Amino acid sequence: MLEMIINDKACRGCKLCLDVCPTDCFVYNEETNKAIVDKVENCIGCLSCAYICPSGAIVHKNHHVVGNFYRNIYFSKRMEKFL
Amino acid sequence: MNEILKKRRTLQETMNFMAALSAGIEPILGRGANSMTMSAGRNLGRKFSENANKTDDLLEAIAEVRKVLLANNCLWLFEPFKPVGQETMVTTNDKGQNQVLIVFRDCMIRQALFRFGHPQQGSLCNMMYGFFAGALENIMGKKTTLEIKHAGENACLKLLTVEA
Repeated sequence: MLEMIINDKACRGCKLCLDVCPTDCFVYNEETNKAIVDKVENCIGCLSCAYICPSGAIVHKNHHVVGNFYRNIYFSKRMEKFL
Repeated sequence: MNEILKKRRTLQETMNFMAALSAGIEPILGRGANSMTMSAGRNLGRKFSENANKTDDLLEAIAEVRKVLLANNCLWLFEPFKPVGQETMVTTNDKGQNQVLIVFRDCMIRQALFRFGHPQQGSLCNMMYGFFAGALENIMGKKTTLEIKHAGENACLKLLTVEA
């Protein structure tokens, strides 16, 4: 199961993660002025929040990591017919 | 091993070339670049799905497209997505059209664009829309659109709409 963790101490409350998330996984806590994960089940693992976060406060675990086709020998073999 | 390395290099260059081509035609053709790649994708989708099973069920049709891609060695890993709170995978919009959200994970196009440092949601991404439109036209006999809701670094979210 995918996990998404926000480092409380690192979060600056810029709301960029709320803006970028296509599935509204985050909500903003007005009391602490920090983002919190609300619906982790909605996370598609696009990692846009992790990339956009200025303080690198968001970490994903157990998510699908896109294979690097360029270095994947198996994939290169399968692409043979197009070359 | 040398043979594989040679093929891999050729693949890299092919993908670089593809992304460069896409980057090159967009400023010249403008929106026309999207039509061109969409049309190319649709033709490919039609061709690949010639012998696919016909169905009226949207989820079955999506599974059929996946089979078509796999049968043609196209590694485009995608899956239907149901957000929390949504009751069914397939929803209907106010025009009576069926819709389903699809998450695309492994994508050759995204990899090619990143390799070249080219932004997403351009003409090459539109080719995927064309592919789905072509394949689903064959499988369901209906027109479809594939709207990019979000293009992410590790996955993309798209909305597939099938005309009523």
